[in-house]
Amino acid sequence: MYPSKFDYVRVQSVEEAVRVLGEHGEEARVLAGGHSLIPLMKLRVLRPKYLIDIGGIQGLKYIRRDKNTLRIGALTTYFELENSLEVSRTHQVIASGASVVGDPQVRNWGTIGGSLSHCDPSGDMGSCVLAARGLMHVRGPSETRTVESDNWFVDTFQSALRQGEILEEIEFQVPPGKLGGAYLKLERKSGDYAIVGVAVSLALDSSGKCSYAGIGLTSVGATNLRAKNAENAILGKIPTKEVISEASEEAFKEVTPSDDPLRGSAEYKKEMVRVYVRRGLEKALEAARSS
Amino acid sequence: MVKIVKTKVEFEGRFRDEYVMVEGEEIQAWPGSYKGKLVGSPSPRLEAGAKVNGSAKYTHDVYLPGMLYGKFVRSPYSHAKVKHVDLSKALAQPGVVAGYAANNVPKLTGEKQIELFSDEALYQGAEIALLIATDEITLQDAIELVEVEYEPLRPLVDPEESLRLRGSHAIGGKDNLSGGTPRVYERGSVERGFSDADVVIEQEFRTQAAMHNCMETHGSVATWEGDALTVYTSTQSINNVRAELAEKLGIPLRKVRAISTYMGGGFGSKFGGGKYTLAAALASRALGKPVRIVLDRIEENLVTGNRSQTIQKYRIGAKKDGTLTAIQLTSVVNVGLEGWTADIGGPTKMTYRCPNVKVELYGTRTNLVSSTAFRAPGYVEGNFGLECALDELASKLGLDPISLRLKNYADEDQGDKIAYSSKALKEAYERGADIIGWKPGEEPTRRGTKVRAKGMASLIWWGGGGPPAYAQVKINTDGSATVVTASQDIGTGTRTAVGQIAAEELSLPLELVSVQIGDTVTELYSPGSGGSQTLASIGPAVRSAAHDAKSQLLDIASQTLDVAREAIALDSGWIVRKSGEKLSSVADLLDKFGGATVTGKGARGPNDPKHQVNTFGAQFAEVEVDTETGEVEVLKFVSVHDSGRIINPLLLSSQIEGGVIQGMGYALWEGRLVDATSGVSLNANLNDYLVPRSTDIDEIQSEYIEAEDTSNNIGAKGIGEPPIIGVAPAIANAIKAATGIRLRELPLTPERIYRALKKMEDWTSSARYF
Repeated sequence: MYPSKFDYVRVQSVEEAVRVLGEHGEEARVLAGGHSLIPLMKLRVLRPKYLIDIGGIQGLKYIRRDKNTLRIGALTTYFELENSLEVSRTHQVIASGASVVGDPQVRNWGTIGGSLSHCDPSGDMGSCVLAARGLMHVRGPSETRTVESDNWFVDTFQSALRQGEILEEIEFQVPPGKLGGAYLKLERKSGDYAIVGVAVSLALDSSGKCSYAGIGLTSVGATNLRAKNAENAILGKIPTKEVISEASEEAFKEVTPSDDPLRGSAEYKKEMVRVYVRRGLEKALEAARSS
Repeated sequence: MVKIVKTKVEFEGRFRDEYVMVEGEEIQAWPGSYKGKLVGSPSPRLEAGAKVNGSAKYTHDVYLPGMLYGKFVRSPYSHAKVKHVDLSKALAQPGVVAGYAANNVPKLTGEKQIELFSDEALYQGAEIALLIATDEITLQDAIELVEVEYEPLRPLVDPEESLRLRGSHAIGGKDNLSGGTPRVYERGSVERGFSDADVVIEQEFRTQAAMHNCMETHGSVATWEGDALTVYTSTQSINNVRAELAEKLGIPLRKVRAISTYMGGGFGSKFGGGKYTLAAALASRALGKPVRIVLDRIEENLVTGNRSQTIQKYRIGAKKDGTLTAIQLTSVVNVGLEGWTADIGGPTKMTYRCPNVKVELYGTRTNLVSSTAFRAPGYVEGNFGLECALDELASKLGLDPISLRLKNYADEDQGDKIAYSSKALKEAYERGADIIGWKPGEEPTRRGTKVRAKGMASLIWWGGGGPPAYAQVKINTDGSATVVTASQDIGTGTRTAVGQIAAEELSLPLELVSVQIGDTVTELYSPGSGGSQTLASIGPAVRSAAHDAKSQLLDIASQTLDVAREAIALDSGWIVRKSGEKLSSVADLLDKFGGATVTGKGARGPNDPKHQVNTFGAQFAEVEVDTETGEVEVLKFVSVHDSGRIINPLLLSSQIEGGVIQGMGYALWEGRLVDATSGVSLNANLNDYLVPRSTDIDEIQSEYIEAEDTSNNIGAKGIGEPPIIGVAPAIANAIKAATGIRLRELPLTPERIYRALKKMEDWTSSARYF
């Protein structure tokens, strides 16, 4: 199991990465943690001629809180997200999701930026970023731009990144109110990709009403996706048992997963979306109420 | 004097008559009351340090100067005609040294005709061509340049379909029913048994194909010096590999040396050399350089064999009080291309007292790789059906599952009606029930959406060991000892256990005993490590050899120190008077003779023909089922075994834990998924083939009942296979107890459980567990 031959460049800055990426065009791939890319190369599903290793760029690994904004550098690892108090305090869904990605080796190497750029519909982090409405800051050869999470997940393994662009930072706004989040994952066994994954991020206002609701779903479509009807079913309401049940019913109705001989039938996945959205909401709510 | 004895030799329940050579004084088995200093102690493995620091050299670690690398081109189709193979582009690559295929020259033939390649691929992964290159990356690039023209043909992977089409679609031109007839066993009359019964139940169960996934994949490195071949190989039997290579290459046995110093896992698929070893040997001879062929993980999953998929139909008759009157099993066994029909009926024939038993096995050929032995072959599959059916019978009769099993306790072997050499299954039921907290009629406990309950299963297996097995024990001039045998330690701890046996007999500390194992150069034959027989075969030979060495040493001491032979003994490296007085260290004694050593010889004697040797066990699971999702967690598993005398309880518990974990994989997660139309495997990798990880496993408690067994001189029976045999039924029975749902098909995936709970139809995708 060896990849086909490739040249390897280790760059020191985003500018350099973008320049080298521009030079080599579609034959180049960006290497961050490598935990998605390298296995695909070993299976020779991907055969890049050039690997641009951005792992050495010092400025891309950070978690910063600035008033109501949380900024996460693209090279921040799952392990760092899972263990950051700053992240847990305001965006528990991100920490919770990071804690169940793969296994400890993957979490020590894999990065949030790598996961989002790879854009695997079975990736856990994408759903969490959707639930938290991340803003993706992207640098290209001539400009920088910002992409909302709703526009990021274009298709299976296809993000909104254009040729020659690199994801630099993910920005999150901190909603007002009492905050809670959770990521729940049904998996065949530990370390596996999700059969179904549910990311929930909630805020409650002083009257106990839901003032922010984000629900992201893993492995039930061509991309990570948002359960918008489910979010609307809870937004502005006091999340009683009935409201939660209604929201999970909405999530059940709005997904159309496909049959997967390895991870289960569409029918089962849909049923599990209902159960897991309910459980995710309950868990996030419990966290918000005790925050 | 050498004695020749004719004896029955057993391997996994198959018997053959063999003449064996027995040398030396016959020594009595340690009595049950014997407490050894070393035997019975939890000594850490002799090689633990080397394994932890990485200095232990496995086959995969063998890199020889000038070594070349080989890899097969394999069929992507499960059935296809190979119309044309073109190696020219691959051979034109710098670094590609040679390429071989069925239709190109130079042909890969030894003195005897060897079929490495076929012009019709009859299973996915079949060998089509072989490339040899200077490094692995060049090799893998070149493999992609081999142009093979295939004509895809219709594959048959479903055994029921294969049986139906037996007349019209013969796989590879041979009868789809392996051997042409079902394999039938009968005792008494099941018709009479069913008419005597108060209750008759009928049950159908299905089990999946399971892959071995040895941590060290199959592989060999071959090198020649003149006309002598040495192979480093990951094998369960260095002697089998040696004999196979000598025969196929047409060279004398003395010209072949097989080495497996450390080995990374073997569960039945590593008994022979396989095409990879033969090809490495042939290419190495042709090219004059060492050649290494090590399978990658995908190849490991495609071509090294598997546990067979089965369909099992049971009919069981019993009296109201639970007394069994008849058991009938009819089973279809998917053996792949030309695999062996494992004895699915083993547990049915052997576990319980029952006068009327009939088993019919339809070994069925398909376009899948040949199935192979896999840790308690047949018994794991058959025990799932039998032990689940027994629980259904218990529930129908309103009996506690353990009571039903005790009611039908077999006090003697049910086939030949001979006594067991030892059997402590009753005690195992009691111990296990006590530990898990078994209460007859206990209701499941609920907590939110989760429900908990317990289940259990019995098991029976072989593992008595037997001849031929030879060993030598040398007392070295410095007073240390070396055990020499051409057995192998496949990771079970054989090295340590035989070291303990020798140290015990010689009264030496274990640090002064070294063990030479895993190399045929010693010419001391020992059987393959399978059938749970390694220790019970080689252990007694080692004890005999140590005893012989001790006798010789005491003879020398008696003459040299001028003391009566009967008055002296060995103790911790000293010749002592039986009163305890030290006379001379062994080192000083041998030093008088200028670097002399003493060599004791030992051979495994036959088992007592008046007894049958079996191993027994009782396994208990406590599970929690999430009734909203179908997820199952095995909260606690208790595995209690009767395996005779325990030489090393630490090694024993490792074997039990490993077997139980492998059994949990089989019960809950593992299974080869094959596309029903194309016959192509969908999960030939460790991403999608779900071998358990440590994080999937909760508490496992290993226990043993140490029954006295005198069928060999160390009193040990096997433990390698028993711990996997009852895991799946114990878990399935616990799920039934928790939910009332009887699951009839493995693996017990959350979706299957969910659907059963919600009374939904089972879902069949385009792929199934063939």
